[in-house]
Amino acid sequence: MPTNRRQFIKQSLTAVSASLVLPRIFFSTARADSSQPAGSRRVLVIIELSGGNDGLNMVVPYTDANYFKLRPTLGIKDTELKDAQGNSTIISNELGLHPAMGKLKQMYDAGKVAVVLGAGYPDPSGSHFESADIWHAGKRDDVRIDGWLGRYADQALLGRPGLTAIAVDDRLPKTLLSTKVVVPSVPNFEDYGVQTDDNYPDNRANKLNALLALHQRGFDVGSFVGNEARIGFDAINGAIQFRAALGGYSSTVTYPANNGLADGLRMLAQVITTIPDVSLLYLQMGGFDTHSDQIDSNNKLAGQQAGLLQEFSDAIDAFYRDLIEHDLADKVLMLQWSEFGRRPNENNSFGTDHGTAAPLLVIGDAVSGGLYGQQPSLAPTDLDDAENMKFAVDFRSVYATILNKWLRGDARQVLGRDFEDVGFL
Amino acid sequence: MPALTYDDAAHLLRRMAFGGSPDEIKALPLKSRERAVDALLNYEAIDNSALESRLQKSFNPKRFTPNDDLQLWWVIRMVLTARPFEEKMTFFWHNHFASALDKVPYPLMYLQNQTLRAAALDRFDALLLKVAQDPAMLVWLDGITNVLGNPNENFARELQELFTMGIRDVVTGDANYSERDVKEIARAFTGWKFRQKGDKKVRVNFFVEENEHDTTVKEIYGQQANFSGEDVITVICARRATARFLVKKLFEFFVYPLADSAEDRATIEKFANVYFSNNHSIKELLRAIFTSDEFFSARARFALVKSPAELIAGAIRLLAEDYNPGNIENGDYDLYNQFRRMGLDLLNPFDVSGWKLNLGWLNTATVLERYNFANALLSNRDDSKHAIGARVRSETLKAHTDASAEKTVRNFLELLGPLAVSAQTIGLLVDYLQTDDDGTPVTFAVNDDIIDKQVRGLVYLLMCLPEFQMN
Repeated sequence: MPTNRRQFIKQSLTAVSASLVLPRIFFSTARADSSQPAGSRRVLVIIELSGGNDGLNMVVPYTDANYFKLRPTLGIKDTELKDAQGNSTIISNELGLHPAMGKLKQMYDAGKVAVVLGAGYPDPSGSHFESADIWHAGKRDDVRIDGWLGRYADQALLGRPGLTAIAVDDRLPKTLLSTKVVVPSVPNFEDYGVQTDDNYPDNRANKLNALLALHQRGFDVGSFVGNEARIGFDAINGAIQFRAALGGYSSTVTYPANNGLADGLRMLAQVITTIPDVSLLYLQMGGFDTHSDQIDSNNKLAGQQAGLLQEFSDAIDAFYRDLIEHDLADKVLMLQWSEFGRRPNENNSFGTDHGTAAPLLVIGDAVSGGLYGQQPSLAPTDLDDAENMKFAVDFRSVYATILNKWLRGDARQVLGRDFEDVGFL
Repeated sequence: MPALTYDDAAHLLRRMAFGGSPDEIKALPLKSRERAVDALLNYEAIDNSALESRLQKSFNPKRFTPNDDLQLWWVIRMVLTARPFEEKMTFFWHNHFASALDKVPYPLMYLQNQTLRAAALDRFDALLLKVAQDPAMLVWLDGITNVLGNPNENFARELQELFTMGIRDVVTGDANYSERDVKEIARAFTGWKFRQKGDKKVRVNFFVEENEHDTTVKEIYGQQANFSGEDVITVICARRATARFLVKKLFEFFVYPLADSAEDRATIEKFANVYFSNNHSIKELLRAIFTSDEFFSARARFALVKSPAELIAGAIRLLAEDYNPGNIENGDYDLYNQFRRMGLDLLNPFDVSGWKLNLGWLNTATVLERYNFANALLSNRDDSKHAIGARVRSETLKAHTDASAEKTVRNFLELLGPLAVSAQTIGLLVDYLQTDDDGTPVTFAVNDDIIDKQVRGLVYLLMCLPEFQMN
């Protein structure tokens, strides 16, 4: 940080009296510098693949005869597990990464990727919305009000100085929904600011003063209008300091073009390198609901999922190199999830319907790379009534491992009970 | 039935229209709820030819291209229609049957939009069947690849979960269907297709491909028969779970969010009975809801968060006279982008569940967009004859400005709601009018400069009030 926060407020908004600028997630009354001692910084980046990513074609069980029986058209054979350069994407005697994920395979070989096989939960929901909600909330009960990282933020980040969490999105993912803390949603940096009448720039301070005061009147905390006031206050207040902080970023890494995830990860790199307090970051990538045209009708190695997985792999690779350049690779952990995997047997639309368990990925210098959990059996007698796989690892044990070992939180408190340590950290 | 007060009428127009100006409020027949509601509900009787001929000339669907022409076309309808409830219901159904340009080509989304508008107040069965057979839905949820022997479950699942009854009964909490029902219903819809002629000006017709349609017996909700897709829709629309779900969705969209309480369960049951006693008529159900005591209760007032459509179209209808959307070559595309940045990418929802209402509209990014929209509207001073976009004329501001700063604040609060706020709030707004740029107090003296600077600033601040974001 080039300046401390108090100086910055003065520089950017001289006429706003300090008493109006009250803390929420952005500010603390007491401290102006980073709350995290140097060397111990830990950032978590969540990447949601929404729509239900087909786990069986991301981590391919290429020796399983049942897999090919269920997927005569979509199944990827061992001889096809090669990236564009012809390098094998096989990661074990039984499993290989989708050929589009060559870059991720290199990271896997370097020990930077943990693959947690068979992640799911009991009594799985086939609904996108219910299942995603269960993952966001980190709860299998029917009452799911806030998100698992929202509850962690209530526990660990409330009152901590500085900007601690951001969703790079025009929405707020429920994972970060908290009843106490406002997590800002920032779809892009250029537009994230308060615009006032350009004809009267000298009147701007009066307007901002009035806006802040009008948002700090007493409102009923739980009401819609009270929530609006809280969000509005943090939006105005946060936007003022946020934009200037990002000026300090530069990088020699070229991110892949026409890749939405890469654009988002580049924004995260800007945030991580310039705002030292930030610790929770969220990105979402859509398009995984491949009921149809998951593969091209004439090429199973191309098509929607291949394109998405390639984007994913290329974007992660660029982001990771950027972190290395900024000496932050050991301080950032990435978690990829999706609301469910897809049905083992393919449908007639070159696609797959809603499934259950699927592998998820945990990526970064901090992980002990390799395979965790267990690949669910595809034997007909092992599938459930809806012909879906049974899960091997409760996804909440992945959350628990990250909460306890990476975020130094209390997983039991966040998740409501104990879960086993999966062992990748 | 009681007569309506000014506040009642303003409330009704916020919900059934995009708000109302003082003239529009006074023009409603206030003698009884039925008359006032019918004036908005029976919109076929309202002449809307000015809008239609204007769109025919400047935004003719035949000349659309795959960018945002269709989206702006609908935004303009909302801003300029004489039948606001027609557009509101079309939006309600678009959100309910949420389909997206991301997957569906725009000519088919245009057809779906016309279908929703034409059947918006029909029997629910009739609307549902039309939507199900409309090409947009057949593409969106993969109906066209749902075939005998290898069904695609996408439509069968969302038909139940999102379009008709939900996973669990909204009153009893019981499961409404099983995974098996999803599979069986998918089979009933096998072979549904459409033929298309033309790429831009599209004509379509629906048909069932007999070789791809599964004619064997299906077991649905415990009953065995050779159900067709049409049969399934009839069965579903006759279920109480469907009536309850539909009631809840309409009620929460137009009145207030329902709690899990005996009182609110009784409210759902009351209107579910209306659905059944009126042959599943959407129009009659709505008439009952809008004339109800619940609708006019204190609990309903400002109980919802304005959607971006209500915020933007409402503000322009209220404040910007002679709104000029331009034409396809040179149109007000910024306006559609404002919808999108506030979280309402019209005709392109993020997924089939549609938009989350109320707090779903609000996060730091979308709230900044709301406030920046207010600034854009108030700081546009381009008064030239053919200027495109929305502007608030100085004369409009002057008409509500008084020699007294406090009276001026009160006048605009009245115009924008009426919004009831505390004395403290009025004090803060008066302070704004009575403070000069270096922070020293000044007397409020009305002149053109003050109107251009501080009265514009005042209306901007009012549009940024948390209260103004409520509906």
